[in-house]
Amino acid sequence: MSALFLIIVFPVLGALALSFFPRMSYNSARIIGAGSVGLSALTMIWLMVAWFSAGGGAYVQTLWNWVDVAQFHIPLALRLDGLSLTMIGVVAGVGFLIHLFATWYMVHDLEGAPGMARFFAYMNLFIAAMLILVLASNLLVLYLGWEGVGLCSYLLVGYYFEKEANAWAAFKAFLMTRIGDVSLGIGLFILFINFGTLNIHTLLQQAPQVWGSGAPIATLTALLILGGAVGKSAQLPLQTWLIDAMAGPTPVSALIHAATMVTAGVYLIARLHGLFIIAPIALEIVGIVGGITLLIAGFAAIAQTDIKRVIAYSTMSQIGYMFLALGVGAWHAAIFHLMVHAFFKSLLFLTAGSVIIACHHEQNIFKMGGLRKQLPFDYALFWIGGGALSALPLITAGFYSKDHILSLAAVNGHVYLWLMGLLGAFVTVVYTFRMIFIVFHGERGMNAEPGRGWIIHHTPLIVLAILSTVIGAFIHQPLDGVLPSASDANSLGMEILLEVISSLVSLGGLVITAAVFLGARDALAKVVASDAGQKIHQFLFGGLGFDTLYDRLFVQPYYFVARLHRVDWIERIANIVPATALLFNDGLATTQSGQLRWYAFSIFGAASIFLIILVLG
Amino acid sequence: MQIVAILAPLIVTATIVLTIGAVAFTRSHRIMAGLSSTGLVLALLGLIPASITVPIQVTPLYIVDGFGLFYMALILIAALISAILAYAYFETQSDYRAEFYILLLCATLGALSLVVCSHLASLFIGIELVSVPLYGMVAYAYRDSVSLESGLKYMILSGVASAFFLFGMALMFAASGSLTFTHIGQNPGGSQLLLLGVGMLVVGLAFKLSIAPFHLWTPDVYQGAPGPASTFLATVSKVAIFAALLRFFQTSPVAQNAWLHVLIIALAFISMLVGNLLALRQNNLKRLLGYSSIAHLGYILTAIAAGGPLAATAVGVYFAVYILTSLGAFGVVSVVSSPFTGTEASDLSNYRGLFRHQPTLAVTLAVMMISLAGIPITFGFIGKFYALLVAVNSGLWWLVAALIIGSAMGLYYYLRVTFILFGAYEGDAQKSLTESSSRTAIMALSLLAALVIALGIYPTPLIDLVNVAGIAVPA
Repeated sequence: MSALFLIIVFPVLGALALSFFPRMSYNSARIIGAGSVGLSALTMIWLMVAWFSAGGGAYVQTLWNWVDVAQFHIPLALRLDGLSLTMIGVVAGVGFLIHLFATWYMVHDLEGAPGMARFFAYMNLFIAAMLILVLASNLLVLYLGWEGVGLCSYLLVGYYFEKEANAWAAFKAFLMTRIGDVSLGIGLFILFINFGTLNIHTLLQQAPQVWGSGAPIATLTALLILGGAVGKSAQLPLQTWLIDAMAGPTPVSALIHAATMVTAGVYLIARLHGLFIIAPIALEIVGIVGGITLLIAGFAAIAQTDIKRVIAYSTMSQIGYMFLALGVGAWHAAIFHLMVHAFFKSLLFLTAGSVIIACHHEQNIFKMGGLRKQLPFDYALFWIGGGALSALPLITAGFYSKDHILSLAAVNGHVYLWLMGLLGAFVTVVYTFRMIFIVFHGERGMNAEPGRGWIIHHTPLIVLAILSTVIGAFIHQPLDGVLPSASDANSLGMEILLEVISSLVSLGGLVITAAVFLGARDALAKVVASDAGQKIHQFLFGGLGFDTLYDRLFVQPYYFVARLHRVDWIERIANIVPATALLFNDGLATTQSGQLRWYAFSIFGAASIFLIILVLG
Repeated sequence: MQIVAILAPLIVTATIVLTIGAVAFTRSHRIMAGLSSTGLVLALLGLIPASITVPIQVTPLYIVDGFGLFYMALILIAALISAILAYAYFETQSDYRAEFYILLLCATLGALSLVVCSHLASLFIGIELVSVPLYGMVAYAYRDSVSLESGLKYMILSGVASAFFLFGMALMFAASGSLTFTHIGQNPGGSQLLLLGVGMLVVGLAFKLSIAPFHLWTPDVYQGAPGPASTFLATVSKVAIFAALLRFFQTSPVAQNAWLHVLIIALAFISMLVGNLLALRQNNLKRLLGYSSIAHLGYILTAIAAGGPLAATAVGVYFAVYILTSLGAFGVVSVVSSPFTGTEASDLSNYRGLFRHQPTLAVTLAVMMISLAGIPITFGFIGKFYALLVAVNSGLWWLVAALIIGSAMGLYYYLRVTFILFGAYEGDAQKSLTESSSRTAIMALSLLAALVIALGIYPTPLIDLVNVAGIAVPA
């Protein structure tokens, strides 16, 4: 396990090589970009074998002292335990598959334009930062990875920066997450002041003893950390950036805005579960945030017309489920859903990318239509991914993970959260199959060319598809000992009852959606075309008006204050300083007359004053 | 032993004799430059055996100690760089070129003797030996009226300062009956006369150091002099005279007067403000550097005014900073202007977009500017840090305030130069600096830039060196 650091070294080297030779050929960039993450994935497999044969536990590797000033010691240390092993499995494993697919996708997306090396340099840097985030044994090191992935997200959202809207989307993603990061930073300060350390393990051990359950300071700290988590994971109230972040290339959406970075908030809360357990109010808020976000995002997804935006809203909604799981104390279930979601959501994004390329960069689902015959492979993959997303009973991985969350919510006495989750499950089926039916059924919208290439196009998709089925649900996560086990007191009968209810909800949703979108689309169109229908549609399409709300609430008042201060008295006072300097400059410049007699006289004059003071003083 | 101790000045003397002899047979520019550079390098090596013998009194006039050897090293390095710059500068001009090196070597000899003098007579001889060849060097481009004018200005004003200096010496001798540093002011009698003498001496030295309000000549002379001469004037003569002043203040009892202390503080204060204020809107790079040198001398005076054990370290470190960065900055000006005939290219507009066609020179100048501004990871930051540290330790809050305000203003005009370097290049293609003479100079300058960065990151060796180089007080 001493090879632990190598998993980070490979992508760092890849990123460096790609940045120093930005003009390398497409093929070199693709080989270095995907190869470095491939080596990381191999290291990950090696680490898994070594970890399981060592019998689990925690392995800490200290690389060097990062900061060592007085009482402030920050070792750059990596910690491999059940939780971080699960996370590096997702990051390096799914990350590699996405990189592999990106070698196919980017060739078609760039169409000969420069920028391949730049793309993979950012992607490799992202993998490195994400691995630092999940392996950190110290909160400051975690923060390093946290900011690193934020930077890469900014760079990749704005990858096609020539288009102004993309640059603004990148700004938005960066600034919105920054709000959360400030909150997280303050949380870290409070932790350091109270405990004198940022070592996660020590903090978790000491927090219950020092603070005790329900202490106000514990609640405050947990809420501040939650602030960081909702920023990164696009949850209420900082969720608005994720939709605009779809401006990035599709593999980026799959890697950063579905499988890994946006789930970092879930990881953070799970990693610091000890702090949230002693702050029950904060934990309850985590669940409520998740519940509300999953509904808001789900409803917004129903009205979208851009295929990537549908999937982006669904990501937001699924992370809401994870927060809900954390909130009800279903720690295992949250991480399990995180992993399964990484499989099926990256499958959906990558398949969407394949469809977009097949349709000549068209992203509007209403212009596609009837692609079933032309793209049978993508059609099948969408059924598998969409099925997992909708948690179709028994055969999909999503069924097991989501059901676990819902039954634990009900059993742990959070009935209202359970009901929200159930409603969300219904909405999920509706928006998922609405998308599938519009894209692949109905009248033929355009000529599509299916993607080719077994290794770089088919293989990653097929592997992800297999993992999205019931097979993925069999993956065992070694989380015992890292995260507290949920109370398993419920009876078998109760569990079966809950499973049957949620199965009925998802199957019922499928039937209704099929009836509407395969049968009565005209009727639906009439409803939408009505006055009320149009208003509702607009409301849902705009993400339930949060952007407008924030614009009115924050942006406009800020502009107002800024305009108010454009010519203000503070600036006038500040301007006195340079004005005075220039005044003196003018005065002194006249002494530089260039005349010898004045120079000589000045020496005599100054010397006289000098000597008089000296002698008389 | 005494011969070994003054090996470096002796080697320089021999080189002067050799070059004067050689010029009778050949006027080859290459031979003259090579001969004088070799002499200076040998003299630098001669400091190594000398370091074993220190401290040692050599005749009543000189005392060779670690302090003296440290400043000798600085002077020899600065003189060597000036010679290299002169080779690049005069290579393309067909006038008499050989004499410049003889003048340069004579002035170097004067500077070397200044840093080890322990007697007012040797101090005076040293100052004149630095100044008189400098008149020639400043006016060396005599076909250019600006150069001639600045040479005359410098000569006449220098004469005024020397008169003050001599008068002061006479008064001190009348009051204390001795010209040895340690004896002046030992007897309590005749204190008014003595103070007047010391005051005049300080005025004379302050003029040479271009400390405000005795600074008016500085920008005119810097601007008019040929590049290598400005470089020499700004570095070698400043270090040598300042070292002599520092030694006089540290060893002579007369310097312990309270009012003198106040006046030194006032001079430092005025220099920092006046130098930086004048540089603010300056569009001629040589004048700008002249004003900035006034401010930097003010920073160094701050360390002297503070006193205490750290002061000598601060002065040593700051002078190393000042020498390296001024050599670099003036050096770039000198190289950039050398391929032209007629007026020098020292206007800031000549440097717009220098990075596009002379990246090495532009980066070197940028590093020097950043170092002069005192931004971290450059050596300039270390120097300014020490100056601030000793001022704070001694509670000289007026000087601390002036230093901070001055640095803020400095940031403005140093960065302005830096931005101009990297701006868009407009203008016709200039003559490329590919001749071997220019290449040597550019190499030496980039080496200086590397040194400025390296010492900014890891200054410990130099600080240690300064710390062992203490002033010896003769019994």
